[in-house]
Formats: sequence, structure tokens, C-alpha cells
Amino acid sequence: MDVSSILASHAEKYKSITVEKANPLEVDAAYLTVTDPNPIDVDSYDNDLEEHLQSLARDGTQALISSLFQLPINRSDDGPLAQLPAPIAPLPRAKHLPKPKPPTKWEQFAAAKGIQHKKRDKKEWDEERQEWVNRWGRDGKNRQLEEQWITEVPLHADIDHDPRKIARDERKARVAKNQKQQQGNIARAQSSSSAQPQPREERKKDIDRTLSSARVSTASMGRFDKKLEGEKKMRGVKRKFDSNEQGGDSERKNSLALLSKMDSDSRKMRTRPSSGGDETVNVRKAVKFVSKGKGAVAMGKEAASKKKFKSGKRK
Amino acid sequence: MRPLTEDESKTLFTKLANYVGKNLVHLIDRPDEPYCFRLHKDRVFYVSESSMRLATSVARPNLVSMGICFGKFSKSGKFKLHITALDYLAQYAKFKVWIKPNGEMPFLYGNHVVKAHLGRITEDTPEHQGVVVYSMNDTPLGFGVTARSTTETRKLDPTAIIVFHQADVGEYLRDEDTLF
Repeated sequence: MDVSSILASHAEKYKSITVEKANPLEVDAAYLTVTDPNPIDVDSYDNDLEEHLQSLARDGTQALISSLFQLPINRSDDGPLAQLPAPIAPLPRAKHLPKPKPPTKWEQFAAAKGIQHKKRDKKEWDEERQEWVNRWGRDGKNRQLEEQWITEVPLHADIDHDPRKIARDERKARVAKNQKQQQGNIARAQSSSSAQPQPREERKKDIDRTLSSARVSTASMGRFDKKLEGEKKMRGVKRKFDSNEQGGDSERKNSLALLSKMDSDSRKMRTRPSSGGDETVNVRKAVKFVSKGKGAVAMGKEAASKKKFKSGKRK
Repeated sequence: MRPLTEDESKTLFTKLANYVGKNLVHLIDRPDEPYCFRLHKDRVFYVSESSMRLATSVARPNLVSMGICFGKFSKSGKFKLHITALDYLAQYAKFKVWIKPNGEMPFLYGNHVVKAHLGRITEDTPEHQGVVVYSMNDTPLGFGVTARSTTETRKLDPTAIIVFHQADVGEYLRDEDTLF
């Protein structure tokens, strides 16, 4: 019995699990990614796009799955697990590279002077005890002077001379100084890295502003005030003009906007008294002429005072 | 050389609007080429943008003029129109005054226009309105400000001043040194 025809028809029904292309597909099993480097077949693309894409996707998926089945497989309770190889495609970092720490003041100085950093051990050799002891911290050598059971006192020392207290104060002062420097370094790093204004700078600006307004608040606007020694000249606000070569369009628009604004302003301001159309007499000029340039109010006052004077005389 | 500030533009436009009224828009919004106002040594120049761009490459002390000088800002911030602006004022003027041939010379020597020399005047010209002065054959001679409205001028005697002189083309000769 010849079953080859049946087998062939059966095989035709199911597509082969091997994908054959002109350029082999690039499978990156670690990322479960398949890349197809083959050029697009224009005929099938134009003919039926959906089918073309489906066949591409099918080939890619088939290649990926068959590559997965070639990987070493571990049996587990959840079923067989394939061990993925190391990834091939290099992916960029998700996050930025960490920024280098801003240099401290000492580091800047050392770099400028070319001073090499010498690593100092935490332990120090103690000649008396013949062993390595901590430089600081538990049983630190820096506290040796204040913890020893007997201490030398200088010859003509005060009665209240306490060598332990002096040593301790010195050590505390060193610690405080170091802390202060550390704070300074942190503040400097912050001010240089972020544009956020520092409270100290803010206060400085505030004082400057107050001072400048105080200086021009005298009767002579500060012109004839006594100058203090080392007083700086006051800086005015620098004038700022538009750039010469702005786009012609924007300049035109600005001018037109200004024109329309002026137009609407003048319309708002217009308060023409509705005289009865008799424009032969210019009232403003007539009043000016009669009152000899003093105006209507002065003329009215004058008339009133004359009347009073006359009536007083009559009495 | 720099563009005008808003205050300066306002002063300039108010002055120009006194002569050309709404036609001022045509000076700013030109169909042929973008034009702009530029301030250089207190003088305002009306210049096409391409010339302005060329002029930027000239050093400030060496730049004498560009485009058309419209006038200058005084030290107190007022704007004075120069006779060089006459071309544009005459083109867009709203109110016009024509003077008789016998009045041309007096006007060109810097005198005011009296009623005897008045040939024609635009109807409904109000008082203190900027007007452009033409000769009877429509040659612009200068500009000024009306002293009286059109209706009032009819009742005046012939020696009364109708238009206060502001600028005339005679200045091209008289003020040759300071005009430009």
C-alpha cells in the first residue's frame, strides 16, 4: 500500500515547522524577539496586505517557538520551563548613568594643586599596647588623651587646669568644624546644580532692594545725601529693546495691534459735548479771551466777589 | 538702529494719524514688501525690511540714513515730522489744502497760510487737524495744522491765518545741514 500520497496531502494541510527564507530570521530568545531582515515582497504586499502580514507573523512566531523548543528544558511542578540564553541585542539603559558626585572644596583644591589622595587606614599601630587600634570610634586613638588614667600637667598650670577637658574640647571642635565644612559642601553642590534660589541669596536680594529704595527716598531723591565710604554707585535698570531682526510678520502684527488699541482707546475717551450745532462760537476760546486766560472758574469767582462788594457798599 | 518701543510707536502713530487717519494701516501693512520703523540717532526711518537687514551690517557711527526719514524724537520725547515724510503723507492724506500760485512762495519760505492765499480746502476739516498743503496743480508743498475749521474760515478776513506752517519743501534748502 502506497501511503506517500496520503502523507503528502496531510503535510500540505499543516505548514512545515521549519521556516525557510532567503535571509534567515534573527531570533533573540532571551527577549522572545524575532527580527525579519528580508526585504518586503511587493507583490503579496500589494495583493492582500492582511494576508501578507499574517503570513509574516506566522513565520516569525513559528521560528521563535521552534527555537524555544531547542533550548535546554527543566522539569518543574508548573510544567516544563525552558532556560533562556543570554540576550543578543544590546538594549539601552532604562535610567541615566549616575551623575558624578560634586567635588568638595578640598577635592577642588587638591585637584588644582595636584595633591594625590592617600588612603588612610582605619586602624593605627599603637606602640605601647603593641597592637592595631581604631583611629576613631570604639576605643579610638583620638580619645586616648582624655581616657588615660593619668595625665601630665604643665609646670605652672592653673588650679582648674583640666587636661581631659581641654583634649575633649579640642576633639569636639574638630568634629564641629568638619560638620560645618560638610554642610558648606552640600550647600555649594545644591546651589550649583539647581537653579532654585537659595534663601540666603534671596535675603541678599531683598536687602539690596530695600537699600536701593531707601537711598532714593529722601527729599532730593538721594542726590545730595552724604556718601558713605565704600558705598557703591546705584545701578539702574538697563533698558531692553526688541531685537532688530525679528520676523517682519510679528512686528507688523504688533504695530497693527497697537493701532487698534489706540483706536479703541480714543473712542472710549471721546467726550464731545453735544452743543446745539452752533459751532460759530468757540466757547473755549471765548471764555479764554474774556477771562484773559484765567479760565471759567476764575471768572465766576471774580464776578461773585464784585457783586458782594457792590451790595456791601450799598448798605 | 533699533525698533521703536511701544511708547515711541504710540507717539509716532498718533502724530501720523493726525495727517493720514485710518490710512496709517496702509503704511504698516503693505502688500508689496514688509516695511518697518527703525530708530537711529533719535530719527525714525521708514525702511523696507530687506534694506534694514542690509543696514544692520553698517556700524552705528557710519550709518547716516536708510529708507525714508519720517522725523525725529525730541529730547523730551515728542515726535517732530520732517518734510521728508511728505511723500507718504501726501499719498494718504485725509484733509488737504490747495493754495493759490501767489501764496506758494510765502509758504515755501516758512510762513503760515493766510486766507487770501487759500485756493481750496477739504470740506468738513475740523480745527487743529493736520493737513497737507498742495499747489493748485496738485504738487505737495508741505504740511501744517488748521487754525480754524472749514465753516469758520468763510467768515474770516483775508489776512487771518488758516493753516499753521509745520514743514515745507523749502526746508530741503534751508535746513540742508540739520535735516538729514
